[in-house]
Amino acid sequence: MRADFLDRHSRLDSPIHRLPAGVKLIAAVTLATAAVAIPRSQALWLAVLSAPPLIVAAVSRVPWKFLAGRMLLLEPLVIAMAALLLLQPDGGRAFLFLLARTSLCLFTMILLAGTTPFDDLLQVLRKLRVPALLVTTLALMYRYLFVLIDESQRMKRARMSRTFVNRRTRSWRVSATIIGLLFLRASERAERIYDAMCARGWR
Amino acid sequence: MHIPDGFLDAKTAAATGALAIAGLGAALRQARLRLPARRVPLLGLSAAFVFAAQMINFPVVGGTSGHLIGGVLTAALLGPGAAVIVISAVLIVQAFLFADGGITALGGNVFNMALIGAVGGWAVYHLLSLAIKGLPGRLLAALLAGWTGTVLASIACAGELATSGTIDAASVFPTMIGVHMVIGIGEGLITALALAAIARVRPELLGLSGHEFPVAPVPSQPSAPTCPPNAFRRAVAREPVGSLVVFGLLISLGLAWFVAPFACPWPDGLEKVAETLGFGQKEAEHRAVPAPAPDYKMPGIRSEGVAASVAGTAGTILVFGLAWGLAGVLVHKSTRRRPPSDPPRENPL
Amino acid sequence: MTAALEVRDLRFRYADGAEALRGVSFSVAGGESVGLIGPNGAGKSTLLLHLNGILPESHDGLGAVRVEGVPLAPDNLPDVRRRVGLLFQDANDQLFCPTVFEDVAFGPRQLGLDDAEVSLRVAEALAQAGLTGLERRAPHHLSGGEKRRACLAGVLACRPSVLVLDEPTASLDPRGRRELKELLRRIPLTKLIATHDLELVVELCSRVIVLDAGRIVAEGATRELLCDEELMLRHGLERPHILRHAHPH
Repeated sequence: MRADFLDRHSRLDSPIHRLPAGVKLIAAVTLATAAVAIPRSQALWLAVLSAPPLIVAAVSRVPWKFLAGRMLLLEPLVIAMAALLLLQPDGGRAFLFLLARTSLCLFTMILLAGTTPFDDLLQVLRKLRVPALLVTTLALMYRYLFVLIDESQRMKRARMSRTFVNRRTRSWRVSATIIGLLFLRASERAERIYDAMCARGWR
Repeated sequence: MHIPDGFLDAKTAAATGALAIAGLGAALRQARLRLPARRVPLLGLSAAFVFAAQMINFPVVGGTSGHLIGGVLTAALLGPGAAVIVISAVLIVQAFLFADGGITALGGNVFNMALIGAVGGWAVYHLLSLAIKGLPGRLLAALLAGWTGTVLASIACAGELATSGTIDAASVFPTMIGVHMVIGIGEGLITALALAAIARVRPELLGLSGHEFPVAPVPSQPSAPTCPPNAFRRAVAREPVGSLVVFGLLISLGLAWFVAPFACPWPDGLEKVAETLGFGQKEAEHRAVPAPAPDYKMPGIRSEGVAASVAGTAGTILVFGLAWGLAGVLVHKSTRRRPPSDPPRENPL
Repeated sequence: MTAALEVRDLRFRYADGAEALRGVSFSVAGGESVGLIGPNGAGKSTLLLHLNGILPESHDGLGAVRVEGVPLAPDNLPDVRRRVGLLFQDANDQLFCPTVFEDVAFGPRQLGLDDAEVSLRVAEALAQAGLTGLERRAPHHLSGGEKRRACLAGVLACRPSVLVLDEPTASLDPRGRRELKELLRRIPLTKLIATHDLELVVELCSRVIVLDAGRIVAEGATRELLCDEELMLRHGLERPHILRHAHPH
């Protein structure tokens, strides 16, 4: 399996995809900030704010199934944290409000990621004068996380194909060993990448 | 522990954002000045590694599973400054690419996991591995540091949620900390087991000389042996004192800001005993020397919350200073020097 | 005429003591295509890394390599790296930028060219590699063959005069291999190709160097050498199938 499923839709073609990344980034951050600023007494404003992302999603042609899938993946974490509100008196309404507000922000960010290639966001960061070392780190991370995920899955499969008893303590040791080896491979790859950068004139 | 959007109010988001930018800025500045060019790609690869490692699941009980957070592991391998950059990069990519962790809460998440979790955990790791030598010491240190880092981060996280007024302190603190005291066990175990696996192949990455294990000779790949023993560690893990002071101060400040105000409603164990036995009154009468900031409240400051914050800040800075002095005595001088092997360079990537 | 590549008594020992190169000498004339073959661990990759000044890390043994008459020395390292284009074994190591465009533009940008010139060179290199239209693709969305050709485009964009290729056809499917072979044939540069793909050597190289255990053990015309069954077997190689029925003349 290849790990490229993680950002498959960010390079589609639609009016939204063609917008400059900076515009989309600012719009998404503004929307999230506005949503965060809404007090519970003004809950109706959430409905108003949720209109733009829904329209954008429709125009962008990113499949609804993909958006919904990512929401479903992330909501449990949000619900788990928000559920603490249910422990306190009159927490039910606060819980629902928080959930709605967070879901709106979540949808907005998923939409941003789904319509904007990460390297375009990096260009924006570079223009915003984010330190070069951080942008380089982000660029290399984005480039190689797919490679490393594939590598860890191959290692896991290789281990599994030779594992005949299934005990929890053992599987922990095996997985932790895979993590250790993954780091070693990553650091060796970093050496080779440095060589490749030098070979093309990096000084 | 990724805080989503909507859980932090504006002032907390701004405060954590400022702390995170200061911490990350200090780490980046230090790396720009001292990190050899050869190690620059390692930061990005380590970030990708942490991300990939977080996707490996560990079965817990009845179908649930947990995963590594990786702050202490990164800090143990690369040093605290590099770990701040690496974990921050992971959190930034998770927020922008996968909407995991909110964009307005990014500062909070960086502060909790990169600064408190990784650097705080690293402090525990470093001090313990100074106390107990050799691989067993490293692994024990990693176990405890993984746990401590996770729990500390959850305390800060709970403090931010409570400061924001999102969730009552009375429910968020015990639940958050309780859950992470359990999660921390997993984090500590995985960190130690992963370090053990690394030590079997490349003991020098842990600062060990390699006598602990019989090691097979390194295969003669062009890239692997270009790194002479210990150079790796010398190059990345020696932490200049300046950035450690900055990290320590930021952590102290953050904890004073978000956690200290909630520390006062919970009486100390001793105070509680005194209270229930009715000694409270007496003790106050008999106190010969008045404490400078009784009960974490500064004299002359009206608002209780602000007073507690100010007192907490002063106290943590004091404690930090003491700890710093102590660490200075413990850390042997010879471990501090490190001339960079390459001149620093700009990265045009 | 000065040789495009000249190596004199090159020796190298890794930090762990393993002796990788024990006095290697050869030269490649301008426009020539030479195959570098030998068993695993013979020192092929180590040798190639020397041609671009990536090894040795300390710059004391650099005098052994000359590129178009220019000796490799710390001062002219950038110059030599511009002349020699090195294609690495693992395409994933070489494609380190988030998009194909960025990656191909990396080299030209390091040369200090302005944006217009960079774009021009990228367009030209991508056209040469048959990848026009894939500028915005992320490397993890490329096939194996496309990745390899993108690496090659990144090297060509620096306009080198010598191409040094490390296992260019490794882990490519037959179509990817065929396309790469055609591409290499069309590039009129001096080439040194380290590979286990003996058919590639037969089709592209007029001369072959056999490296084993850090030494050159044989050197000569491709067909003659590869048909020497005994020599091939002794050094972990074999007579390629397409030469099964051929006779050296």
